[in-house]
Amino acid sequence: MKKTISLLAGLVMVMITAGSAFAHFQMIYTPESALEKGKTISLDLVFTHPFEAGHTMDMGDKPEEFYVVRKGRKTDLSDKLKPVIWTSLTNSGGAYETEYKLRGMGDNVFCLVPSPYYEKEEDIYIQQITKMVVNTAGFPTDWDREIGLPAEIVPLDKPYGLWTGNVFRGVVKRNGKPVPHAEIEVEYLNHRPLTDHNAFAEKAEVEAPQGAFVTMGIKANVNGEFSFGIPRAGWWGFCALGAGPDTEHNGKELSQDAVIWVQARDMK
Amino acid sequence: MRIRKTLITGVLATSLLLPAVAFAHTPMCSCFSLGDGTITCEGGFSDGSSASGTVMRVKDKKGNVLVKGKMDEFSEFTFEKPDQPFVVEFDAGSGHKIEIKGKDIAE
Repeated sequence: MKKTISLLAGLVMVMITAGSAFAHFQMIYTPESALEKGKTISLDLVFTHPFEAGHTMDMGDKPEEFYVVRKGRKTDLSDKLKPVIWTSLTNSGGAYETEYKLRGMGDNVFCLVPSPYYEKEEDIYIQQITKMVVNTAGFPTDWDREIGLPAEIVPLDKPYGLWTGNVFRGVVKRNGKPVPHAEIEVEYLNHRPLTDHNAFAEKAEVEAPQGAFVTMGIKANVNGEFSFGIPRAGWWGFCALGAGPDTEHNGKELSQDAVIWVQARDMK
Repeated sequence: MRIRKTLITGVLATSLLLPAVAFAHTPMCSCFSLGDGTITCEGGFSDGSSASGTVMRVKDKKGNVLVKGKMDEFSEFTFEKPDQPFVVEFDAGSGHKIEIKGKDIAE
Protein backbone atom coordinates (compact mmCIF):
# COMPACT_ATOMS: atom_id res chain seq x y z
CA MET A 1 0.00 0.00 0.00
CA LYS A 2 2.74 2.38 1.07
CA LYS A 3 4.63 1.51 -2.07
CA THR A 4 1.63 2.34 -4.21
CA ILE A 5 1.20 5.68 -2.49
CA SER A 6 4.83 6.68 -2.90
CA LEU A 7 4.72 5.48 -6.49
CA LEU A 8 1.65 7.60 -7.09
CA ALA A 9 3.26 10.56 -5.38
CA GLY A 10 6.33 10.10 -7.58
CA LEU A 11 4.16 9.95 -10.64
CA VAL A 12 2.36 13.13 -9.67
CA MET A 13 5.72 14.81 -9.12
CA VAL A 14 6.91 13.74 -12.56
CA MET A 15 3.68 15.02 -14.11
CA ILE A 16 4.03 18.35 -12.36
CA THR A 17 7.64 18.72 -13.38
CA ALA A 18 6.84 17.79 -16.95
CA GLY A 19 3.94 20.23 -16.88
CA SER A 20 6.05 23.17 -15.84
CA ALA A 21 8.51 22.42 -18.62
CA PHE A 22 5.93 23.48 -21.21
CA ALA A 23 6.43 26.89 -22.56
CA HIS A 24 4.98 30.15 -21.44
CA PHE A 25 3.51 32.17 -24.28
CA GLN A 26 2.29 35.72 -24.26
CA MET A 27 -0.66 35.90 -26.62
CA ILE A 28 -2.24 38.74 -28.52
CA TYR A 29 -5.30 36.98 -29.83
CA THR A 30 -7.87 37.92 -32.42
CA PRO A 31 -9.88 35.34 -34.36
CA GLU A 32 -8.95 36.43 -37.91
CA SER A 33 -5.67 37.92 -39.10
CA ALA A 34 -6.58 38.40 -42.79
CA LEU A 35 -9.66 40.53 -43.26
CA GLU A 36 -11.30 41.66 -46.48
CA LYS A 37 -11.93 45.11 -45.11
CA GLY A 38 -11.54 47.16 -41.98
CA LYS A 39 -13.79 46.52 -38.99
CA THR A 40 -13.65 46.52 -35.22
CA ILE A 41 -11.69 43.54 -33.93
CA SER A 42 -11.30 42.08 -30.47
CA LEU A 43 -7.85 41.72 -28.94
CA ASP A 44 -7.12 39.49 -25.95
CA LEU A 45 -3.79 39.65 -24.17
CA VAL A 46 -3.28 36.40 -22.28
CA PHE A 47 -0.09 34.92 -20.78
CA THR A 48 -0.57 31.17 -20.92
CA HIS A 49 0.47 27.71 -22.07
CA PRO A 50 -1.42 27.58 -25.36
CA PHE A 51 -1.09 23.94 -26.36
CA GLU A 52 -2.67 22.69 -23.18
CA ALA A 53 -4.70 25.78 -22.30
CA GLY A 54 -2.98 25.18 -19.01
CA HIS A 55 -1.85 27.41 -16.18
CA THR A 56 -2.57 31.01 -17.14
CA MET A 57 -0.28 33.53 -15.49
CA ASP A 58 -1.32 36.81 -13.95
CA MET A 59 -0.09 39.48 -16.34
CA GLY A 60 0.01 41.78 -13.33
CA ASP A 61 0.59 45.48 -13.77
CA LYS A 62 -0.54 47.21 -16.91
CA PRO A 63 1.79 46.39 -19.79
CA GLU A 64 4.73 48.75 -20.26
CA GLU A 65 3.68 49.29 -23.88
CA PHE A 66 0.88 48.26 -26.20
CA TYR A 67 0.55 49.85 -29.61
CA VAL A 68 -0.15 49.25 -33.26
CA VAL A 69 2.03 50.23 -36.22
CA ARG A 70 0.56 50.88 -39.66
CA LYS A 71 2.42 52.52 -42.53
CA GLY A 72 5.22 53.17 -40.08
CA ARG A 73 2.99 55.22 -37.78
CA LYS A 74 2.55 54.16 -34.19
CA THR A 75 -0.77 54.43 -32.31
CA ASP A 76 -0.66 53.94 -28.55
CA LEU A 77 -3.36 51.58 -27.30
CA SER A 78 -2.21 51.09 -23.70
CA ASP A 79 -4.93 53.33 -22.27
CA LYS A 80 -7.58 51.24 -23.99
CA LEU A 81 -6.68 48.01 -22.17
CA LYS A 82 -9.25 46.62 -19.79
CA PRO A 83 -8.21 44.08 -17.13
CA VAL A 84 -10.11 40.79 -17.28
CA ILE A 85 -9.83 37.35 -15.72
CA TRP A 86 -9.04 34.64 -18.24
CA THR A 87 -10.01 31.07 -17.40
CA SER A 88 -7.76 28.20 -18.48
CA LEU A 89 -8.52 24.51 -18.05
CA THR A 90 -6.71 24.50 -14.70
CA ASN A 91 -6.94 28.01 -13.21
CA SER A 92 -7.60 31.62 -14.01
CA GLY A 93 -5.26 34.57 -14.38
CA GLY A 94 -5.27 38.29 -14.94
CA ALA A 95 -5.32 39.26 -18.61
CA TYR A 96 -6.27 42.29 -20.68
CA GLU A 97 -8.68 42.90 -23.52
CA THR A 98 -9.58 45.69 -25.88
CA GLU A 99 -11.15 46.41 -29.23
CA TYR A 100 -9.62 48.22 -32.14
CA LYS A 101 -11.20 49.68 -35.23
CA LEU A 102 -9.20 48.83 -38.34
CA ARG A 103 -9.55 51.26 -41.19
CA GLY A 104 -8.49 51.35 -44.79
CA MET A 105 -6.08 48.77 -46.11
CA GLY A 106 -2.77 47.41 -44.97
CA ASP A 107 -0.90 45.67 -42.17
CA ASN A 108 -1.55 46.46 -38.54
CA VAL A 109 1.36 45.27 -36.39
CA PHE A 110 0.24 44.98 -32.78
CA CYS A 111 3.14 45.15 -30.31
CA LEU A 112 3.06 44.33 -26.62
CA VAL A 113 5.75 44.86 -23.99
CA PRO A 114 4.26 43.32 -20.83
CA SER A 115 5.47 43.97 -17.31
CA PRO A 116 8.05 41.38 -16.25
CA TYR A 117 6.34 38.36 -14.70
CA TYR A 118 7.86 36.68 -11.66
CA GLU A 119 7.99 32.91 -12.11
CA LYS A 120 8.21 31.52 -8.61
CA GLU A 121 9.13 27.98 -9.58
CA GLU A 122 12.18 29.10 -11.50
CA ASP A 123 12.85 32.22 -9.36
CA ILE A 124 13.21 34.34 -12.48
CA TYR A 125 11.35 37.09 -14.27
CA ILE A 126 9.93 36.55 -17.75
CA GLN A 127 9.07 39.34 -20.18
CA GLN A 128 7.74 38.28 -23.55
CA ILE A 129 7.73 41.07 -26.10
CA THR A 130 5.02 40.03 -28.53
CA LYS A 131 3.89 40.87 -32.08
CA MET A 132 0.77 39.91 -34.02
CA VAL A 133 -0.19 41.22 -37.47
CA VAL A 134 -3.68 41.78 -38.88
CA ASN A 135 -4.07 42.66 -42.55
CA THR A 136 -6.99 44.25 -44.35
CA ALA A 137 -7.69 43.99 -48.10
CA GLY A 138 -4.53 41.97 -48.79
CA PHE A 139 -2.53 45.16 -49.17
CA PRO A 140 0.96 44.66 -47.68
CA THR A 141 2.49 47.59 -45.81
CA ASP A 142 4.31 46.79 -42.56
CA TRP A 143 4.44 43.03 -41.97
CA ASP A 144 8.18 42.79 -42.73
CA ARG A 145 9.06 46.02 -40.97
CA GLU A 146 11.49 45.89 -38.08
CA ILE A 147 9.61 47.68 -35.32
CA GLY A 148 12.73 48.29 -33.25
CA LEU A 149 11.76 46.28 -30.17
CA PRO A 150 14.67 45.20 -27.94
CA ALA A 151 13.71 41.56 -28.59
CA GLU A 152 11.99 40.99 -31.89
CA ILE A 153 11.19 38.29 -34.42
CA VAL A 154 11.13 39.92 -37.85
CA PRO A 155 9.06 37.78 -40.21
CA LEU A 156 10.29 36.75 -43.65
CA ASP A 157 6.86 35.40 -44.58
CA LYS A 158 3.54 37.14 -44.08
CA PRO A 159 2.27 36.00 -40.68
CA TYR A 160 -1.34 36.25 -41.92
CA GLY A 161 -0.82 34.85 -45.42
CA LEU A 162 0.11 31.22 -44.80
CA TRP A 163 -1.48 28.06 -46.11
CA THR A 164 -1.27 24.91 -44.05
CA GLY A 165 2.01 23.28 -45.05
CA ASN A 166 3.75 26.55 -45.85
CA VAL A 167 6.99 27.40 -44.17
CA PHE A 168 7.15 30.31 -41.80
CA ARG A 169 10.54 32.01 -41.55
CA GLY A 170 11.77 34.76 -39.30
CA VAL A 171 14.89 36.44 -37.98
CA VAL A 172 15.49 36.69 -34.24
CA LYS A 173 16.90 40.09 -33.33
CA ARG A 174 18.34 41.70 -30.21
CA ASN A 175 18.43 45.50 -30.49
CA GLY A 176 18.25 45.11 -34.25
CA LYS A 177 21.09 42.60 -34.56
CA PRO A 178 20.49 38.95 -35.49
CA VAL A 179 20.87 36.47 -32.62
CA PRO A 180 22.92 33.50 -33.90
CA HIS A 181 21.62 30.06 -32.92
CA ALA A 182 18.74 31.55 -30.97
CA GLU A 183 16.64 29.00 -29.12
CA ILE A 184 13.01 29.10 -30.23
CA GLU A 185 9.96 27.42 -28.78
CA VAL A 186 6.96 26.75 -31.01
CA GLU A 187 3.45 25.95 -29.80
CA TYR A 188 0.08 25.41 -31.42
CA LEU A 189 -2.93 27.22 -30.02
CA ASN A 190 -4.69 23.95 -29.36
CA HIS A 191 -7.78 25.15 -27.51
CA ARG A 192 -9.93 27.75 -29.19
CA PRO A 193 -10.11 30.99 -27.20
CA LEU A 194 -13.74 31.83 -26.41
CA THR A 195 -13.36 35.58 -26.47
CA ASP A 196 -16.90 36.22 -25.23
CA HIS A 197 -16.24 34.15 -22.13
CA ASN A 198 -12.56 35.01 -21.59
CA ALA A 199 -11.77 31.31 -21.50
CA PHE A 200 -10.31 28.47 -23.56
CA ALA A 201 -12.55 25.83 -25.13
CA GLU A 202 -12.21 22.54 -23.29
CA LYS A 203 -11.83 20.55 -26.49
CA ALA A 204 -8.29 20.09 -27.71
CA GLU A 205 -7.80 20.18 -31.48
CA VAL A 206 -4.95 17.66 -31.43
CA GLU A 207 -3.21 15.32 -29.02
CA ALA A 208 0.53 15.32 -28.58
CA PRO A 209 2.15 11.88 -28.48
CA GLN A 210 4.81 13.22 -26.10
CA GLY A 211 6.15 16.41 -24.54
CA ALA A 212 8.46 17.21 -27.45
CA PHE A 213 5.34 17.79 -29.58
CA VAL A 214 3.70 20.14 -27.09
CA THR A 215 6.50 22.69 -27.07
CA MET A 216 8.64 22.18 -30.12
CA GLY A 217 12.19 23.34 -29.68
CA ILE A 218 13.95 24.63 -32.77
CA LYS A 219 17.11 26.66 -33.33
CA ALA A 220 17.95 29.61 -35.51
CA ASN A 221 20.96 29.36 -37.81
CA VAL A 222 24.14 31.40 -37.51
CA ASN A 223 22.30 34.41 -38.98
CA GLY A 224 19.48 34.23 -36.47
CA GLU A 225 17.08 32.89 -39.11
CA PHE A 226 14.71 30.04 -38.50
CA SER A 227 12.06 28.26 -40.52
CA PHE A 228 9.17 26.05 -39.53
CA GLY A 229 6.79 24.02 -41.71
CA ILE A 230 3.25 24.56 -40.49
CA PRO A 231 1.39 21.25 -40.28
CA ARG A 232 -2.06 22.48 -39.31
CA ALA A 233 -4.40 25.43 -39.77
CA GLY A 234 -4.76 27.78 -36.83
CA TRP A 235 -2.56 30.01 -34.72
CA TRP A 236 1.08 29.17 -34.04
CA GLY A 237 3.30 30.96 -31.53
CA PHE A 238 7.08 31.34 -31.86
CA CYS A 239 9.10 32.40 -28.82
CA ALA A 240 12.82 33.20 -29.00
CA LEU A 241 14.13 32.69 -25.47
CA GLY A 242 16.39 35.32 -23.98
CA ALA A 243 16.49 37.23 -27.24
CA GLY A 244 16.41 40.60 -25.49
CA PRO A 245 19.34 42.57 -24.05
CA ASP A 246 18.02 42.83 -20.48
CA THR A 247 19.04 39.96 -18.23
CA GLU A 248 18.14 41.27 -14.78
CA HIS A 249 15.04 42.66 -13.09
CA ASN A 250 14.63 43.47 -9.38
CA GLY A 251 17.94 41.74 -8.69
CA LYS A 252 16.81 38.50 -10.26
CA GLU A 253 17.44 36.84 -13.59
CA LEU A 254 15.21 38.09 -16.42
CA SER A 255 14.37 36.13 -19.54
CA GLN A 256 13.44 38.75 -22.11
CA ASP A 257 11.87 36.81 -24.96
CA ALA A 258 10.56 37.71 -28.43
CA VAL A 259 7.21 36.24 -29.49
CA ILE A 260 5.34 36.32 -32.79
CA TRP A 261 2.01 34.70 -33.71
CA VAL A 262 1.13 33.46 -37.19
CA GLN A 263 -2.11 32.04 -38.57
CA ALA A 264 -2.34 29.32 -41.23
CA ARG A 265 -5.38 28.33 -43.28
CA ASP A 266 -6.31 25.11 -45.05
CA MET A 267 -6.48 25.00 -48.84
CA LYS A 268 -10.03 24.08 -49.59
CA MET B 1 -12.80 50.74 -72.16
CA ARG B 2 -10.05 49.83 -69.77
CA ILE B 3 -11.29 52.46 -67.42
CA ARG B 4 -14.66 50.74 -67.49
CA LYS B 5 -13.05 47.52 -66.42
CA THR B 6 -11.56 49.07 -63.35
CA LEU B 7 -14.66 51.06 -62.53
CA ILE B 8 -15.22 49.68 -59.10
CA THR B 9 -17.25 51.14 -56.32
CA GLY B 10 -17.06 51.59 -52.57
CA VAL B 11 -17.35 48.54 -50.39
CA LEU B 12 -17.36 46.32 -53.46
CA ALA B 13 -13.93 47.57 -54.38
CA THR B 14 -12.17 45.59 -51.72
CA SER B 15 -13.79 42.27 -52.47
CA LEU B 16 -13.55 42.69 -56.20
CA LEU B 17 -9.90 43.57 -55.95
CA LEU B 18 -9.02 40.54 -53.90
CA PRO B 19 -8.87 38.08 -56.78
CA ALA B 20 -6.55 40.50 -58.56
CA VAL B 21 -4.08 40.69 -55.70
CA ALA B 22 -1.84 38.06 -57.25
CA PHE B 23 -1.02 40.39 -60.12
CA ALA B 24 1.60 42.94 -59.30
CA HIS B 25 0.73 46.60 -59.72
CA THR B 26 -3.00 46.24 -59.49
CA PRO B 27 -4.18 49.57 -58.15
CA MET B 28 -6.09 49.51 -54.90
CA CYS B 29 -8.02 52.28 -53.26
CA SER B 30 -10.28 52.37 -50.26
CA CYS B 31 -12.10 55.29 -48.67
CA PHE B 32 -13.64 55.70 -45.24
CA SER B 33 -15.41 58.46 -43.41
CA LEU B 34 -13.83 59.64 -40.19
CA GLY B 35 -17.19 60.76 -38.85
CA ASP B 36 -16.02 64.37 -38.58
CA GLY B 37 -17.19 65.51 -41.99
CA THR B 38 -14.01 64.41 -43.71
CA ILE B 39 -13.24 61.40 -45.85
CA THR B 40 -9.87 59.72 -46.16
CA CYS B 41 -8.89 57.60 -49.15
CA GLU B 42 -5.92 55.28 -49.13
CA GLY B 43 -4.31 53.97 -52.23
CA GLY B 44 -1.52 51.68 -53.26
CA PHE B 45 -0.57 48.84 -55.52
CA SER B 46 -1.14 45.21 -54.69
CA ASP B 47 2.60 44.51 -54.43
CA GLY B 48 2.70 46.96 -51.54
CA SER B 49 4.16 49.88 -53.42
CA SER B 50 2.99 53.34 -52.51
CA ALA B 51 0.59 55.44 -54.54
CA SER B 52 2.10 58.62 -53.16
CA GLY B 53 1.69 61.43 -55.68
CA THR B 54 -1.25 59.81 -57.45
CA VAL B 55 -3.84 62.33 -58.66
CA MET B 56 -7.13 62.25 -56.79
CA ARG B 57 -10.32 63.92 -57.98
CA VAL B 58 -13.66 64.30 -56.30
CA LYS B 59 -16.37 64.85 -58.91
CA ASP B 60 -20.06 65.64 -58.86
CA LYS B 61 -22.67 63.72 -60.86
CA LYS B 62 -21.93 65.67 -64.03
CA GLY B 63 -18.24 65.06 -63.80
CA ASN B 64 -17.28 68.52 -62.59
CA VAL B 65 -14.23 68.40 -60.35
CA LEU B 66 -15.10 69.52 -56.81
CA VAL B 67 -11.76 68.77 -55.18
CA LYS B 68 -8.43 67.87 -56.69
CA GLY B 69 -5.30 66.74 -54.93
CA LYS B 70 -2.63 64.09 -54.62
CA MET B 71 -1.97 61.10 -52.42
CA ASP B 72 0.43 62.25 -49.67
CA GLU B 73 3.60 60.53 -48.47
CA PHE B 74 1.46 57.95 -46.63
CA SER B 75 -0.57 57.25 -49.78
CA GLU B 76 -3.54 59.04 -48.26
CA PHE B 77 -5.84 61.80 -49.41
CA THR B 78 -8.30 63.53 -47.08
CA PHE B 79 -11.05 65.90 -48.18
CA GLU B 80 -14.19 67.48 -46.79
CA LYS B 81 -17.29 65.52 -47.63
CA PRO B 82 -19.26 67.38 -50.33
CA ASP B 83 -22.91 68.21 -49.63
CA GLN B 84 -23.97 66.56 -52.88
CA PRO B 85 -23.60 63.13 -54.48
CA PHE B 86 -19.99 62.58 -55.52
CA VAL B 87 -17.47 60.13 -56.91
CA VAL B 88 -13.84 59.77 -55.86
CA GLU B 89 -11.41 59.09 -58.65
CA PHE B 90 -8.01 57.53 -58.06
CA ASP B 91 -6.04 58.16 -61.25
CA ALA B 92 -2.70 56.44 -61.54
CA GLY B 93 -2.67 56.53 -65.32
CA SER B 94 -4.41 54.49 -68.00
CA GLY B 95 -5.71 51.20 -66.79
CA HIS B 96 -4.98 52.27 -63.26
CA LYS B 97 -8.08 54.24 -62.51
CA ILE B 98 -10.51 53.47 -59.71
CA GLU B 99 -13.78 55.21 -58.95
CA ILE B 100 -15.56 54.99 -55.64
CA LYS B 101 -19.07 56.35 -55.18
CA GLY B 102 -19.61 58.64 -52.22
CA LYS B 103 -22.69 56.75 -51.07
CA ASP B 104 -20.66 53.57 -50.72
CA ILE B 105 -18.18 55.11 -48.31
CA ALA B 106 -18.82 53.92 -44.78
CA GLU B 107 -17.40 55.04 -41.49
